[in-house]
Amino acid sequence: MAAGKELKRRIKSIKNTKKITKAMELVSASKMKRAIAATLASRAYAGYSWEVLQSLAEYVSETQNPLLTVRPAKKMLVILITSNRSLCGGYNAQVTRKTIAFLREHVGQHIDFISVGSKGESNLRRLGQNIVASFNTVSDTPKLADVYSIGNLALDMYKNGEYDRVYVAYTDFVSALTQLPQIATLLPVKREEVAAEIVEAKATAPKNAINYTFEPDYETLMSMIVEKIARMRVYQMILESTASEHSARMLAMKNASDAAGEMIDDLTLAFNKARQAGITQEISEISAGMASVS
Amino acid sequence: MSTKQLKLKIITPEKTIFEEMVDSVTIPTTEGEIGVFPHHIPLVSALASGDIVAKRGDEVIPMAVSGGFIEVKPSEDGGTEVAILADFAEHVADISDEALVAAKTRAEELQKMKDNGEVVNFEQFESELARSLTRVKIADKWRGKKYRI
Repeated sequence: MAAGKELKRRIKSIKNTKKITKAMELVSASKMKRAIAATLASRAYAGYSWEVLQSLAEYVSETQNPLLTVRPAKKMLVILITSNRSLCGGYNAQVTRKTIAFLREHVGQHIDFISVGSKGESNLRRLGQNIVASFNTVSDTPKLADVYSIGNLALDMYKNGEYDRVYVAYTDFVSALTQLPQIATLLPVKREEVAAEIVEAKATAPKNAINYTFEPDYETLMSMIVEKIARMRVYQMILESTASEHSARMLAMKNASDAAGEMIDDLTLAFNKARQAGITQEISEISAGMASVS
Repeated sequence: MSTKQLKLKIITPEKTIFEEMVDSVTIPTTEGEIGVFPHHIPLVSALASGDIVAKRGDEVIPMAVSGGFIEVKPSEDGGTEVAILADFAEHVADISDEALVAAKTRAEELQKMKDNGEVVNFEQFESELARSLTRVKIADKWRGKKYRI
């Protein structure tokens, strides 16, 4: 019965693992729900600010504002958003792969990185990329105050002319089963993009242009709003990524739980077979012994 | 009644704090405090730190805000809509005493850091300081006064 004992030990250990993966699955599910709610809550703000920006855009010419001016792309900055923890399936690998593809497309150009999340940081180090800043303290439920500085840093570097393009590599949350790694342009803000965002974010916006009074003046307001939008987009992308991370982890943990269940079934079957074989053998030994006695 | 009231929305990137019909609202802008009544002309302006006070009948509803912009525009049904897009907004009643003490300490800490010149991230620090100070100031201002939550 040595094999039986061994099997029993394995079944027990797998059962414990299953309990853990199941718990992690449930935790991720609830965290995902919270992240999705936060994403939806931030959409109202996004809708309004794009709308205000559009009505402003009619008064300001593009060349005057550095945040809206498209400079020739010499130096680029990529903000890579990943998770701090692993056990989330292909979540980090996917967005990293997307980044590598991006690097291949822009061979020979100067690209620096800001990493959000420790997994992305270690991946970038392995790739030998230059990381100018790294944020590993973003929580599972990011608050605006937590990510404020990330957006600010990118804005400052862009405004100082250190970089001509700022991209964000993040994971777009499509559904609980589908997450799409993406690289979006954060700065400069393109006019076509403004129009597209408004159509997407605000179907209820009145079509006729309202004749606003602007205080203090267009230029000041414009750069203020564009900055706010840039910061808000970073926040939103981090929220999207968080939602993706949790749903990826939920799925990975669900698969692990299922696999553990199957393994337990197989092992239980093997254990029962071994037990049965043992009993059969004992019976045949006893009856053989009886036959020899009588 | 509906034409005599305006729709006030206070939105932060995190959530919609307030959405109600009110009689009037006082808003701190960078150009000074403004009062908005129904049928106000369309306006876009920058928001300063301070308190937004909405009035409805005898009720006053104060809220602490910091940084952002405001948009006043006619709504689709012919009324007036005021959208306040703030970086941070809070009902005055939600600022608990413990949070207040924490904000005060934090503000002092930040001020000390500023004096010692050991601040790296200036912009974030500025906004955080402004927020802490606003909370303290507004909460002190409304302490003991009557207001609706």
